[in-house]
Amino acid sequence: MKNKKHAWIFGYNKQSKSIAASLLAEHFTITIIENNEKNFQNAMLDGYENSMLLDVTEDLELEKLDIKQDDWILCLMNDEHLNAYLILSLRAYCACNKIIAISHSIYSTQKLKIAGANEVIDIYQVSANRIHNIFEKPIATKLMDNFISDAHQISFKEFTIPKNSFLHGTVINEVDFNKFGLIFIGMSDKELGDEFVFAATNINHKLDIGDIIICIGKDEDLAKFEEYLHKDIV
Amino acid sequence: MFSKYIVKLAFGLHNSNRYNNTKKFFYDILENQNYSYKKIVDLFLIILILSSIVELIYSIKNSVPMWMHIFDYYIVTIIFGTEYILRLWIHSDIHKIIIREYETSQFLKSKFNFYTTLLKVLSEKWDYIRSPAAIIDLIAIIPIYREFRILRIFKLLRYTKSIGQFIDVLKTKRFELMTLFLLLIFLIGTAGVAMYAVEGNINKNINSLFDAVYWALITTSTVGYGDIAPVTTMGRVISMITIINGLVLMAFATSVIVSAFLDKLGEIKDNRIIETINKEDKFVIICGYGQMVKMLLRQNNFDNKYVILEKDPEITRQIAKDGFNVITDDASRHDVLAQFNIQYADISVLCLGNNDVENIYIILNAKSLSRDIKVIARASDQSMKKKFILAGADHIIIPNQTANIMLLTSINQPVVYNVLHSLLAGKNAAYLDEIKVLAYDKLAGKSIEELEFKTKKLLLIGIQRQSSSDFIFNPPSSTILEPNDILLIMGLKISVEHFVNTFQRGLK
Repeated sequence: MKNKKHAWIFGYNKQSKSIAASLLAEHFTITIIENNEKNFQNAMLDGYENSMLLDVTEDLELEKLDIKQDDWILCLMNDEHLNAYLILSLRAYCACNKIIAISHSIYSTQKLKIAGANEVIDIYQVSANRIHNIFEKPIATKLMDNFISDAHQISFKEFTIPKNSFLHGTVINEVDFNKFGLIFIGMSDKELGDEFVFAATNINHKLDIGDIIICIGKDEDLAKFEEYLHKDIV
Repeated sequence: MFSKYIVKLAFGLHNSNRYNNTKKFFYDILENQNYSYKKIVDLFLIILILSSIVELIYSIKNSVPMWMHIFDYYIVTIIFGTEYILRLWIHSDIHKIIIREYETSQFLKSKFNFYTTLLKVLSEKWDYIRSPAAIIDLIAIIPIYREFRILRIFKLLRYTKSIGQFIDVLKTKRFELMTLFLLLIFLIGTAGVAMYAVEGNINKNINSLFDAVYWALITTSTVGYGDIAPVTTMGRVISMITIINGLVLMAFATSVIVSAFLDKLGEIKDNRIIETINKEDKFVIICGYGQMVKMLLRQNNFDNKYVILEKDPEITRQIAKDGFNVITDDASRHDVLAQFNIQYADISVLCLGNNDVENIYIILNAKSLSRDIKVIARASDQSMKKKFILAGADHIIIPNQTANIMLLTSINQPVVYNVLHSLLAGKNAAYLDEIKVLAYDKLAGKSIEELEFKTKKLLLIGIQRQSSSDFIFNPPSSTILEPNDILLIMGLKISVEHFVNTFQRGLK
């Protein structure tokens, strides 16, 4: 069962509309914040009833928002200047929240990061990377497209090791992922400060509760593995 | 009976692969700028021309050996003669004209007229014979009058692009230059006649009208040898007027030529870029300049084998300023894409503008030229994807969608996001590479178990099998590698390189 997470989406446009719909499908609750009357009305019409119309340049207005520590903040305003200003304002009093933004130019990515965004997805960089890979690594690109398209059969998936799992306390080299039809890609070890370590470096860490492992495999195999992972062995 | 035989022969030639291939070969080596061996033939002919001129200059004050004379008189002449005949042959297809005329007569149920057809054939060949290039070629062949051989130097025009371009530029100002030339003739004639009338009986250096016209030309050109000079006041007045006229005409002519060059400069530069790129076996044509193109070229400049097409001259200037190869042209026009070496080169077209309608039109334009052109196009959203596929795009990039998926992954699976981001950006930490199994390398015939990927700190993700075009994900360790398989492996860049060096050193 997935936890109910909350996302604050600043700016309601074509892009945020699609992101909001996908987040809803992932069981998120969503609040849309808009400073434009027309966009606000559009959000309301699309069923986001707890949307708010407010002046995002006013710190007092932002402070009134009930943003919890685990909430996600998505800054998707059309105006890049406003987006950077908003990130800066939000970071001032949401120190621990994850702020994600989308950038539309080479130069604004760095500015948004400096303003305080945890992740900035550079819309053109991502596409340029893809074109580069189509030329240089066509097979890999086909596979990657498979991962990121909706119609995938093979995916990357991350698993957090739960309590009483069969993996808890085992050493990574002892686990035969092949038995599940999966390839172990790497892990994020709590002991190492959440640093991601690729399997190719022949890591041999002990797996503990809360560690995250990444595997690649067919969707049904990944689902089976997840089910098996959550089985209590005690 | 004779007509019947001619028609039969024409059909025979039309269906003969040998004849058509031979003709194609000669066309390629003589006329096809994109044919690599043409350069060698051109170079050979240039050397012949130069050697012939050198022999002529040397022979003026020295006696030349007999072999040199034979070489210049017979060998060079025979080679140029053969070249002339071949050019005349490839200029048009006689058999096609005969077949066309025959089929027309069959359709109209009239009698096939051999003499009318012959006239049409001769008319087409005459078009070639009277062209300036063919006239120069013909003069170069005739060795009868020795000094005529100096005209062989004009044959160089055929093989030197710069001179050809210079003439093309002058052709654009033909009307202005012709007007100036006629004015010059008129002024020289008038000045010559006037001088003859004034000083014909007084000046001992002017003995005929020819002397006076000669003086007028030398004075107009401001050269002034001084062999003929005016001796009367009226003669000096005529000289002064002639000199001023000459200066004005010279200034006009210079400005006309300079303006012609300025008008054509962009076009000349563009043609140079196209010629250079057409020499490559594989290149990329980018349509629609923007942020994405900038980022792409920063990451992968395709070994400089690319050209950007931009129809707005202002934007073109900006792109050139950014240091990229650009030409001002509209990629949606058929003739613009047709000037690239579509027949021989492996061309990829990137349609990365932000206008879906324009992008679709460019895809259709490229695919109408050749289905083999690979097209990667940018679409504004998912709803457009179907149209792009129908138009023939091989890959479709939807920036918003890709960014949205990355954003959602970064929320739902942040660790996976980091992995994907590293892989997409080709970062060293997670290098995803493809290794092709070559027919005779050490990989072919080996099992996956034998290759010990784990020991080599690599992950084998899958194999793209060319024989069955299947992608085998996570193949079993007993799988035997076949030639042309492509291994998709992940690891540190250094591990991948070590693997390639171990198994394919000197082969890849």
